[in-house]
Amino acid sequence: MSRVNVARALRAIRRSIWVFHLNSGSCNACDIEVLDALTPYFDVERFGAKLVASPRHADVILFTGPVTRESLPKVVRAVRAMPRPRLILALGSCAVGGGIWWDTYSTIGGFKKLEEILRESGIEVDRVVYVPGCPVRPEAIIYGLLLLLGAVEQKARGSEVAVPEG
Amino acid sequence: MSVAKILEIAARVGRVTRRYPYQPPLLTPEFRGSIRVDPSRCWGCGACVRICPPNALTLKPSGKMVALEYFVGRCIFCGMCAEVCPAGAIEVTKEFELSATSIEDLRTRLVHRLTRCSVCGAPTWTEAELRAVVKASPITEEYAAICPEHRRERFAKAVALRLGAGE
Repeated sequence: MSRVNVARALRAIRRSIWVFHLNSGSCNACDIEVLDALTPYFDVERFGAKLVASPRHADVILFTGPVTRESLPKVVRAVRAMPRPRLILALGSCAVGGGIWWDTYSTIGGFKKLEEILRESGIEVDRVVYVPGCPVRPEAIIYGLLLLLGAVEQKARGSEVAVPEG
Repeated sequence: MSVAKILEIAARVGRVTRRYPYQPPLLTPEFRGSIRVDPSRCWGCGACVRICPPNALTLKPSGKMVALEYFVGRCIFCGMCAEVCPAGAIEVTKEFELSATSIEDLRTRLVHRLTRCSVCGAPTWTEAELRAVVKASPITEEYAAICPEHRRERFAKAVALRLGAGE
């Protein structure tokens, strides 16, 4: 398995990130929010993000949906076609943790499981940013993209709090 | 449409783009973001766990503790947990900047201590729930601390004694 200097690659693509939108069986809400983020209103092109039609041209995959069994081989082929470094933005609750389909027989339940399948077939993913939301807000997509590029600080931190005594 | 006409419309409308990271986001009053559980008010009763459609809220027991885990990566932001919470501990916030590079950063845990049955020592319910029940109903703390099985036994014994059964 080859290693890629992700920080160096990110410096190179910082002002022109080509994104490919990959739908793995989502309900279309996140896809519409992706389109929303590309409109002049939210205008993700301010950061140089441009939608491309092929994963072979893409720097980042905008990944939506809980990965249905039917879409799994196609998703694997699309990710395999992507050049290194493979940067993935998992958008929406379905892509992050399976969402409302977390125990449905016909989905594999989110990107975490897909990552294992990809690793088994020898496809390495260099960096993933999980963007929860149902659907994700266009602002949340912009925030996730900036987090992927290292332009903003991560706010979410896992925490463990004990209930106070008395 | 001619260029002159486009320029005329552009001059009239002006800039529409939201410059989001530098400008506040467009949040409507109806928007629901992630939930926040108040540690001082939560009982650990599990009403939110039962109602949660995608199982984003789970109760995970481990020994003397039980943890209410909120996995925001699976939350569908329906707000039903806040609606059913008997203690009013869950608040729906407007937080949406939840992105994380690791999936573990999306989990928050609230750890409750369990009480033990004063007869058999089996874990019964959470301390906070016991306090709330004792406060709201006429039962004593001593009775509330017993597990359901030994409460049944105690009740059966009391009835038997009243009916004249010997020791």
